[in-house]
Amino acid sequence: ELDLQPEDNRETAASAFEDPAAYKQFLAKLYAGFAVSGQQGPAGNPDLTGLDEGFSQYMRLYWSMQELTTDEAVIGWNNGTIKDLHSQNWTSGNEFIRTMYSRIMYQIAQSNEFLRQTTEEKFNARGVDASLKAEIATYRAEARFLRALSYWHALDLFGNPPFVTEADQPGAFLPKQTNSSDLFDYVESELLAIEGDLKAPGANAYGRADQAALWMLLSKLYLNSEKYNGTDHNAEVITYTEKVINSGFTLVDDYQKLFLADNNTNGAQNEIIFPITYDGINTQSYGGMTFIIHAAVGGDMNPDDFGINGGWAGLRTTSALVNKFLDDNDDPIEDVQDKRALFFTEGQSKEINDISRFTDGYAVAKFKNVDVNGNAGSDPTGDFPDNDFPMFRLADAYLMYAEAVVRGGGGSTSTAVSYINKIRERAYGNDSQNISAGDLDEEFIIDERARELYWEAHRRTDLIRFGKFSDGGVWPWKGGVPQGARTEAFRDLMPIPASDLGVNTNLTQNPGY
Amino acid sequence: GNVTESATGLPIPGVNVIVKGTSNGTTTDFDGNYTLKDVKNEDVIVYSFLGFASQEIPFEGQSTIDVRLDEDQATLDEVVLIGYGATSEQDATGAVEKISTEQFNQGAVVAPEQLISGKSAGVQITPGGGAPGQGGTIRIRGGASLSASNDPLIVVDGVPLDQRGVQGSRNALNSINPNEIEDFTILKDAAATSIYGSRASNGVILITTKKGKKDSPFQFTYDVKASVGNITEKVDVLNADEFRELIENAPGTNPSLLGESNTDWQDEIYKTSVGAIHNLTATQGIGNFYYRANFNHTSETGVLKGDFYERNAFNIALNQDLLDNHLKLSLTSKNSLDKNEFADQGAIGSAVGFDPTQPIYDPNSPFGGYFEFTRQTNGGITQQNLATRNPVALLEQFDNGNQTRRSITNLNTEYKFHWLPELKAVVSAGFDYAEVRGGNFRPLASAANTSNIDQFQNYSGFNRNYLLDTYLNYKKEINLFETEVDLTAGHSYQEFYSYSNSIGTQQDQVVDFPESINRNTLESYFARASFDINDKYLISGSFRADGSSRVAPQNRWGYFPAASIGWKLHNEAFLADSKFVTKLKIRGGYGETGNYEIGRNYGYLGLYSPSQGGARYQFGNEFVSTLRPEEYDEDLKWESLINYNAGLDFGFFSNRISGSVDAYYRETKDLIATVPVPAGANLSDQLLTNVGTTVSRGIEVGLSGEIARSENFNWELNYNISFQDREITQLTLGDNPDFFIPQGGIGGGVGNTIQLWKEGYDPTTFFVFRQVYNDAGQPIEGAYVDVNGDNQITEADRQPYKKATPDYFMGLTNTMNYKNLDFSFTFRGSFGNYIYNNTQSSGGFIEAATNTPSDYYANVNANVLETGFQNAQYFSDYYLRGADFVKLDNVSLGYTIPGDAVDFRASLTASNVLTITNYEGLDPEVFGGIDNNFYPRSRRFVLGLNFIF
Repeated sequence: ELDLQPEDNRETAASAFEDPAAYKQFLAKLYAGFAVSGQQGPAGNPDLTGLDEGFSQYMRLYWSMQELTTDEAVIGWNNGTIKDLHSQNWTSGNEFIRTMYSRIMYQIAQSNEFLRQTTEEKFNARGVDASLKAEIATYRAEARFLRALSYWHALDLFGNPPFVTEADQPGAFLPKQTNSSDLFDYVESELLAIEGDLKAPGANAYGRADQAALWMLLSKLYLNSEKYNGTDHNAEVITYTEKVINSGFTLVDDYQKLFLADNNTNGAQNEIIFPITYDGINTQSYGGMTFIIHAAVGGDMNPDDFGINGGWAGLRTTSALVNKFLDDNDDPIEDVQDKRALFFTEGQSKEINDISRFTDGYAVAKFKNVDVNGNAGSDPTGDFPDNDFPMFRLADAYLMYAEAVVRGGGGSTSTAVSYINKIRERAYGNDSQNISAGDLDEEFIIDERARELYWEAHRRTDLIRFGKFSDGGVWPWKGGVPQGARTEAFRDLMPIPASDLGVNTNLTQNPGY
Repeated sequence: GNVTESATGLPIPGVNVIVKGTSNGTTTDFDGNYTLKDVKNEDVIVYSFLGFASQEIPFEGQSTIDVRLDEDQATLDEVVLIGYGATSEQDATGAVEKISTEQFNQGAVVAPEQLISGKSAGVQITPGGGAPGQGGTIRIRGGASLSASNDPLIVVDGVPLDQRGVQGSRNALNSINPNEIEDFTILKDAAATSIYGSRASNGVILITTKKGKKDSPFQFTYDVKASVGNITEKVDVLNADEFRELIENAPGTNPSLLGESNTDWQDEIYKTSVGAIHNLTATQGIGNFYYRANFNHTSETGVLKGDFYERNAFNIALNQDLLDNHLKLSLTSKNSLDKNEFADQGAIGSAVGFDPTQPIYDPNSPFGGYFEFTRQTNGGITQQNLATRNPVALLEQFDNGNQTRRSITNLNTEYKFHWLPELKAVVSAGFDYAEVRGGNFRPLASAANTSNIDQFQNYSGFNRNYLLDTYLNYKKEINLFETEVDLTAGHSYQEFYSYSNSIGTQQDQVVDFPESINRNTLESYFARASFDINDKYLISGSFRADGSSRVAPQNRWGYFPAASIGWKLHNEAFLADSKFVTKLKIRGGYGETGNYEIGRNYGYLGLYSPSQGGARYQFGNEFVSTLRPEEYDEDLKWESLINYNAGLDFGFFSNRISGSVDAYYRETKDLIATVPVPAGANLSDQLLTNVGTTVSRGIEVGLSGEIARSENFNWELNYNISFQDREITQLTLGDNPDFFIPQGGIGGGVGNTIQLWKEGYDPTTFFVFRQVYNDAGQPIEGAYVDVNGDNQITEADRQPYKKATPDYFMGLTNTMNYKNLDFSFTFRGSFGNYIYNNTQSSGGFIEAATNTPSDYYANVNANVLETGFQNAQYFSDYYLRGADFVKLDNVSLGYTIPGDAVDFRASLTASNVLTITNYEGLDPEVFGGIDNNFYPRSRRFVLGLNFIF
């Protein structure tokens, strides 16, 4: 007998989908692909094998790409080429960039497989009933949304990634390369195509994407379109951020609540439009929130205050971010009234002499695995936090609306100012620091975005949009020197990993690398 | 009477003298004398001894019968197994080497492969670490693959073992008691191996175990070996005073975190290892029925506290010849019960890194009284996260053990047709069953247990392998053409099945892990034809077709042909009368083989795997388990190897000097490797698939010389040397010359690697920055050669440099005996191999001590005193060190006292005696070339006693 089939819990496509629940489980995989690193939590059966499982986790890598490359974060570890991210001297051999690329393409390939397994033809062959078909129609729209989200990450990070859809059967073929302009069009067309198939804002189960998530993604896509294909879509930013803003989301009263273990129940869930969910028991990973919280704790910080069993002593911030909260750079940050300035300074120096030393640079105490009452999250071992990562939230929609107004996309300046002031009133607890229309300019917007959204994986994209990422900006240790140095503009795009160029001869490297 | 050698007149000790058809018999003593009682008229007395033709003498009342035995020409030309049959050493046309009992390494050998370490050219056996019962790594001609297995196929008494090993076992070969091994036959080139088809690319080792002898008296042997061992070296770390000074002088440190003690942690985790091996053996031949039964008890403690290995083995070999020797039945069964206690080897790294100023015990410690780095929390005292754990506590507060049972049993039936005795039918049915049951336990009181419950894992599983071989053999001398014809054709079916399950803790939960089942089957047809023309010209060809369940139907069948020729020059007229040349044969062969160990069983099918444990995703109020489609390659097929071999066998002066030389060229195509798949093309970032080619070449020389051959003094030297070179010639789907695949994970950081696979390089090549040195010859921290001249040091400046595999390696065996005294030793050497000293690179810089994630300090490698490095410099070629070595593996001295009732032999052996090397780490012989937390091998002294009743 030479035709053997699996006899344990592995299944073939034919047998797996005999169970109608398999479709939902497969959809859950597409979401979980952003949160965990494989089929066994926290580790043990990885999705990707090219890098350590914890390091290769999607959210951890995306966060690293968006934050470590900027003024908002440094990391002290000696893992491979991780320090090259902050010094902006990465090459096409950087394993973190490579694995981010792999992760993105992995998510896309998984979504493609989902779409292949949920065609009308397959349903007929398997005898799927009408009600399940209707449910799966929504699943399909969500799968396409998640694919568009990853393609947007690919567009933003790599510009010209390989392009595969459900029409490409898995194999070892060489995918064709797309370009920024075509990919922009594709992501836009996909999102517009599925808008009606997604559930209305708030109508889907918590954790799953709805129309508001789609509108946020469209807004992001349009806001940055100048960089993607040289076109101005600020009017569309106004359109779609307005849709989000008018969908019933509200700012949570206390800024800190957004980043706590119970941010799915403490009121923050009304502000968070699309989370990547974590749970100390059910959704465990060494990436994602586990990384963001543990790696940020060290020095004199008490792990108990962060609801964890100990810090990994890696992440801090530079003085460039701290100074955005100060009128005068010599002022002590402790005196700042802005509640968003969640820094830990005891035993830490503001400036960084040695990146490897945790006590060099202020620590960031923004994310904590404790609830509003200070109780630690559900994992009794203190390893895995409950915090959901707020990928899209209302305050960002306000800021995008305001930015689109400033950039001439229409809308109303007074509405923009009122949105900004909602954010600032929450930050200060009163209206003393409210701005007026005269304060609202690009310079203000980019700094306010840093103050409001630091460490939420927006910074790199924002800096590029404002021309401050590579040749237009300086912050400590950029370029590998303590005072910081400008880098070449080609670094606005990440390199196509050398490993993929090696195997896929259809690909051309991004300029400069 | 007395028995002598007819050619020399020398007495022959140990000759079996037996009354035919009875169990009445004896053996000759050291002077060839024997006494046999109760012999009746018309009895026939049989005199038999290996290497001599048996004689039968009818008893007619003589009081003395002196016998002169003739050397047996047939047995002088030794029989060599070649897979589904045998040939004579003279007629072998492939690169085949047989290593028999008398050549084996001495000492308390637990792992069978150690018997032949250093004995055969082209065969490299790297012992594992120093854990008791640990297996080594066998490479024949360096192995042929990259990601797939490089282990040779091992066939024990006709049963090919599962190449994936046995669950829970330290060494799958340990089930074969070394004491019971008659010989190893190593098939090196494809002309010899391709009869094993898709499993033969890495060579084949045929192990034959000892059997009883026909018509032999009852003999009982007791053999005991007692051994003690100690480690010979420790990792050079700072002592407490040096460490205190380092911390006190480093800026920004807090010396109050240091302790008052002076602890050498390595002294605390290692101890003297003791071991004993007992063998009780009975053999007898009663007419056409003969047997051998052996019981073995082996036990050994490790040099690392808490490590333990025990083997209880019962081997039996039963033979019955029926129908006037036309039907031969042979049953062999090897049964073993192994017990293991596994020490936590993490203690090795902890002992190197633990603060030497801290004490072992702390009366106030909540962690079972062991000192640990702690911190105060709201709830009391807890361990510091990521801090080094007390190495002694790691060993003491951990239980990990298992039991494995295994039986390898084979029934072989050989029938010579009555109407056509040249035709033989062989049916061989075998099974290999192994089961394991084990578990580990770490109590809540252990600091290494960061959860809130006792941590445990309990597991069980089994491997089962069935075999049914059927073949016909036709062997006939065709006088007309003066040609001997030997034809074989057959069918083989083998099924491999494995099952495992486990239950254990994950964080604070007890999880019942899903069972894992794997089954694969292999069906084969094979044939071989050999012709010996005029006793001068040899021609042989073989063919095998293998069908495997592991590959897709379109690639399912693989075909493996081989052809070889030989020319026995010594039988040509111009050499036949030469006094100088005894043997001279040239041979050449071509063959194709495969490598079937392609990683997993259903690699060509698109599979879906469910998630477990904390890998669920929140949808509203429920957490949904996920379902993942796995990457797959529908076209996955096994690696194929083509091999050319040319050889020369020679013997001069009655074979006083003999040897062979082989040269080979091998090309592995469709190499199976886990490589980056084009992003987006499949369902993971890496895919096990067929990519590219490697080429290897080599020259192997084996020499043996009998320096002295006389009644009282014999001295034999055996020497072998192997040169080998291996290179990746193609590796990708595309053709970018800069493409490489990182390999060789190291300790220090996460995801750091130090080797690479790249076209044009050996697969063990290192990938490093070229260190810059100051005038004093000291490495300058962070200063590397800017290879591409872009004025910055980036990873583009990392270069492939040196490799872990040797350019050449050799072995030298000496055996000597003078009267009753025997003396032997084995040297082994390896040259051109490099090691990356990861122990120094991961612990030899100041920040390794001072820049820790919480409030503790870690000890550093004393190498920091030489470099003064502040930060880690993992990729510096400073840490790449030449690791040439010569090792004196064993020295043995024995004395034999022949007695009337009992023969007695005593021996003293020392193993791992001496290592000559410039490498300053623990041991230059580390498989893979990365020296990190190596379990040190012990130097052992063995007392052996052997009684033959």
